[in-house]
Amino acid sequence: MTASPEPAGPAEPAGPAEPAGLAGLAGPTGLGRRPARPLRLLLRRLLRTARADVLAAAGAVLLLAIVACALLAPWIAPYPEDGGTATHPTEALLPPSADHWFGTDQVGRDILSRVLFGARTSLFIAVAVLGLAAAAGVTLGVVAGYAGGWIRDVIMRVTDVFLAFPALLLSLALAVVLQPSVTTVVVALAATWWPWYARLTASVAQSVATRGYVDAARCLGVPAPLIVFRHVLPNSATPVAVQLSLDAGGVILTSAALSYLGIGVHDPTAEWGLMVQQGQTLFTTDWWVVTFPGLAILVTAFAFNVLGEGLRQALDPRGATR
Amino acid sequence: MRWQRCLLAAGTAAALALAAACGGGQVRGAGDRSSAPSGAGGAAPPATGTTFVYAPNLDVVTDWDPASSYSNEIVAMQNIYESLTKYNIRTQKVEPRLATAWESSKDGKTWTFTLREGVRFHTGKPLTAEAAKDAIQRTKDKGAGAAYIWDSIKKIKAKDDLTLEFKLKYPAPLDLLASADFAAYIYDTAAAGSGDLEKWFAEGRDAGTGPYTVDSWQKGKEVELSLTAFDGYWGGWQGAKFTRVEFRVTPELTTAAQLVQRGEVSFVPRLNPQLFAQAAAQGAQTTQAPSFQNLLALFNTESGPLKDERLRKAVQQAIDYDGLVAALKGAGVAASGLVPQGLFGHVAGRTPKQDLAGAEALLKEAGHGPGGKPLTLTMTYAQGDADQQLLATLLSSTLSTLNVKLEAEPLQWTTQWDRGKSADTGKRQDIFVMYWYPDYADAYSWFANVFRSSDTPSFNLTYLKDDTFDEAVDKLNELAAVDKEAALTSYADLQTRLIDELAAVAVPYVMNYQRVLAGGIGGYVDNPAYPNVVFVYDLTPGA
Amino acid sequence: MLRYLTRRLGQAVLVVAGVVTLTFTVMRLVPGDPAVAFAGPRATPAELAAARERFGLDDPLWTQLWNYARDLAGGDWGTSLHTRQPVARDLTLAFPASLELVGAALVVAVAAGVPLGVLAARFKAGLPDLSVRFTSMLAVSVPVFWLALVVQTVFAGNLGWFPVAGEYDSSLDRTSPLTVYTDITIVDALITGNWPVFTSTLWHLALPALVVAAYPAGVIAQMTRAALIEESGQDHVRLSRALGFGRTAVLVRFALRPAAGPVLSLIALVFAYAIVNGFLVEAVFNWPGLGRYAAASIRSLDTPAIAGVTLLVALLYVGSNLLVDLVQGVLDPRVRTR
Repeated sequence: MTASPEPAGPAEPAGPAEPAGLAGLAGPTGLGRRPARPLRLLLRRLLRTARADVLAAAGAVLLLAIVACALLAPWIAPYPEDGGTATHPTEALLPPSADHWFGTDQVGRDILSRVLFGARTSLFIAVAVLGLAAAAGVTLGVVAGYAGGWIRDVIMRVTDVFLAFPALLLSLALAVVLQPSVTTVVVALAATWWPWYARLTASVAQSVATRGYVDAARCLGVPAPLIVFRHVLPNSATPVAVQLSLDAGGVILTSAALSYLGIGVHDPTAEWGLMVQQGQTLFTTDWWVVTFPGLAILVTAFAFNVLGEGLRQALDPRGATR
Repeated sequence: MRWQRCLLAAGTAAALALAAACGGGQVRGAGDRSSAPSGAGGAAPPATGTTFVYAPNLDVVTDWDPASSYSNEIVAMQNIYESLTKYNIRTQKVEPRLATAWESSKDGKTWTFTLREGVRFHTGKPLTAEAAKDAIQRTKDKGAGAAYIWDSIKKIKAKDDLTLEFKLKYPAPLDLLASADFAAYIYDTAAAGSGDLEKWFAEGRDAGTGPYTVDSWQKGKEVELSLTAFDGYWGGWQGAKFTRVEFRVTPELTTAAQLVQRGEVSFVPRLNPQLFAQAAAQGAQTTQAPSFQNLLALFNTESGPLKDERLRKAVQQAIDYDGLVAALKGAGVAASGLVPQGLFGHVAGRTPKQDLAGAEALLKEAGHGPGGKPLTLTMTYAQGDADQQLLATLLSSTLSTLNVKLEAEPLQWTTQWDRGKSADTGKRQDIFVMYWYPDYADAYSWFANVFRSSDTPSFNLTYLKDDTFDEAVDKLNELAAVDKEAALTSYADLQTRLIDELAAVAVPYVMNYQRVLAGGIGGYVDNPAYPNVVFVYDLTPGA
Repeated sequence: MLRYLTRRLGQAVLVVAGVVTLTFTVMRLVPGDPAVAFAGPRATPAELAAARERFGLDDPLWTQLWNYARDLAGGDWGTSLHTRQPVARDLTLAFPASLELVGAALVVAVAAGVPLGVLAARFKAGLPDLSVRFTSMLAVSVPVFWLALVVQTVFAGNLGWFPVAGEYDSSLDRTSPLTVYTDITIVDALITGNWPVFTSTLWHLALPALVVAAYPAGVIAQMTRAALIEESGQDHVRLSRALGFGRTAVLVRFALRPAAGPVLSLIALVFAYAIVNGFLVEAVFNWPGLGRYAAASIRSLDTPAIAGVTLLVALLYVGSNLLVDLVQGVLDPRVRTR
């Protein structure tokens, strides 16, 4: 068992919510027992937060810009072919200039173009990892929380085991033994992140399952899948969404670290971590090769982290008191 | 109450530290010295002497046994141990080391070596023909690492104190074999007395005759190994020489470059072209030397699309050899044929050129190319090797213009090799990229190990089965021992057959060493027959 | 209390068993043949067979798992393929240096994070709060491997203020040899009063520790801020404020103490995380710790070594969590009922 308290505990003292970036570490706590909220109320609340929290608003704007870059990369990149297989050995390692704002790399590719295409890779990985992790985690969490008993115990003990590895470590071990590719990175990271969602959903499901109206529904013969669909999932949606936005930054950093270690995505796929790794030995002579992809990772992770933190404060009742 | 918690934590930490402290102290760096064999040839020179610091990028020693050592430790072992002969890169001939003279019978099956007088092992024992015989016999019997260099030996005889006679099963160039980079070391087999010699070595001890002996070995520390001058060395210690050698493991190239710049290390074996140019501009000594190590792109001649000779030739011609060498900026030089320059068997004037029109024509002929059927090829190469990466990037870029998709996968060696050897031919790659280098200064291993057929693939990852080729390879060694001219012709013919006729392989480049040496150090000569080795004894320290 | 203790220990044992099984499973996924890695690139079939025999690779999986667990318990963590030394020995050699680096980083993180958190809470929603939140968010978002490169090149390479790499000046091994008790260089230098080694180590430690500290410092600052704001809402703090104590005084004297609890357990959590983050930094600064060992193991697909590192860090993680829970259980009865 890890130190994150069992989320289902009844009389849990309301400790402070853990900060963003720590999401993969201390785990979600106490986000469990709230009814689903009408969409309008939620939006109004978000807007209010955006006005109050400049940082989160900035994060949201940054993130929109990054997503736009990723989607529009083939059209806005100055040399779109450089995001793929093209190479220009004769133009290798040109410093930043009007033609190449971020300079060129070892085989003459435009770094700005590759940074833009890299946004696609990073965002794709983040979406795929979190989608997989949330799908697997929520399913197992619902089963655990709703079924209870030994099934719950087994699932929770398995999540304990997975949570005993720091995120980078387990995905690193997995990525080393599997062969380097985008799929490997996604699988390795998803295998590391799912337990958080399992725990979160299990606690929601358990609290819902013991409520009067659910008991009543069960007595009336409403089938279990329907109860889960009608009552458990809607209640989990908000905490899972908050958790997703908090985790995205961590996933981006960890996938970059895997590529940096040479066990993630490989060339010619444009990926920021890989670009840092390939340019690492050039840093003292051709600084631009490493600097821009590194900044891209920093900015993206930052955008996700401040946005996630802001979202949590907006949607978490305890955050709202601040 | 919260303060109690802090106190408790602090208390626990203090107790732990105390418990550790009671364990007893030991002086760092001196552990191995105390257990070094007594009877060594006198006290080491004072620690104030000049130190040569070598900055390897990987751990140095994995195997201390001179019989089986077959890895990075060569950079230390060649300064601790000596072989009977040594290959001279300038003359391209074998020259004396522990043996001063040798001769062979006409049929090349009997070899007689005369040993140097007055040589002593670090254990104190003098070098005799009997001792040399025991060392070679032990290495041959263990059969590990590069021990196969002694395979031709039928019988070794110590005719007198300094005369060693070898009877061979078949003719072989034993003087050359005796200069091999591994497994040719002469050592004192009685160093451990009645104990287990292998275990004795494993603790970081040596029994060589070379100029330096082990001072301390701390696996995992930054300065992993230090050697100190052996007072009883036969060459003597007149003149200015380094009296100490340290190996400071430095994995990052940028770090290594900064360290040599600041004078904290004396030698970095390999830098990238940019750092190399920077070091040269900032006043460090730099030398470049072509190696005996070339990159091979082995085409699958047995299964998959490249079974079609036309497609192999197309890929061969699509490689941008000049562009690659230009992009390597000195880390690689153009290859001419399969055998690197400086080795017997090298042929000049065979530098390959890119021919895109030719490649396109060949692809069209086979129904592929622009407008034709799409073609997908798989290529495996070494993960983490920036130069091979460059080949992969450039080649996939070129091939994509020819409507060929190259799936280049960087893999760990074990994975790459396993896949190449896979019994299921469907799992094998179309192009296998690897470096090849000889264990002794000879071209034979390229032909015998990489291209000669075998029932289960080992290194012959072209899966070539060509009887006339095999027959010619089997005659090479004998030919080299008796008729040099004929051997040279045969080597040239075999390369034509492999590269031009069968198109089984492309040689994108020969690796080029870019060494950086701290200012002032004199006498450095690169010897690719002993990859990355610095013979520190031959150097003169700067002012 | 006893019930809590046994339950908590029981859970830990289960988790450790799971961790061992998971590590074993992951390592069995390796596509290549570990025997090949051990026997070397030019091994003969006979050498391969000997290596397979030596590692018991031909036994059924269950037997291998059982043997693996038994060997681990007996202190045999296998033989590293690339160093050819027992993994347990390699780990004992590398671990103290990592502990030194991460320990120093945590000291820096606490020293920077707590005051920043207090500052932010004191001027909540003001400019200091915004800048602290901004900085701490940057700190948790920066890729450490990149930060390490930048910091090394600027402060060691270009400005020359700090050493480029290494743990301490190795020539001191001869002029001022260090007597080793704990194997943690800086601690040994301190307790034996070896000042040349001590200052040299401190000097070499500065940059890598700073880089490793970035993430925990950011987390601690945010946590302290959040905890303080939470505590300021409590009655006793409001009371003190009403009694006329100044804002800062109240925060530091009344709110910081209770907030220390969550922050302390956070440090235990960050510890294992920082060790793994340190992996990425050690290679750059050539720090002779677990990270450098792990990097070399990854390069050579050295499965026993990778498994060893993974296990060690996971066990540390489980252990530090257990310790925090037990200590909190002793001090805070409410925890036991959970």
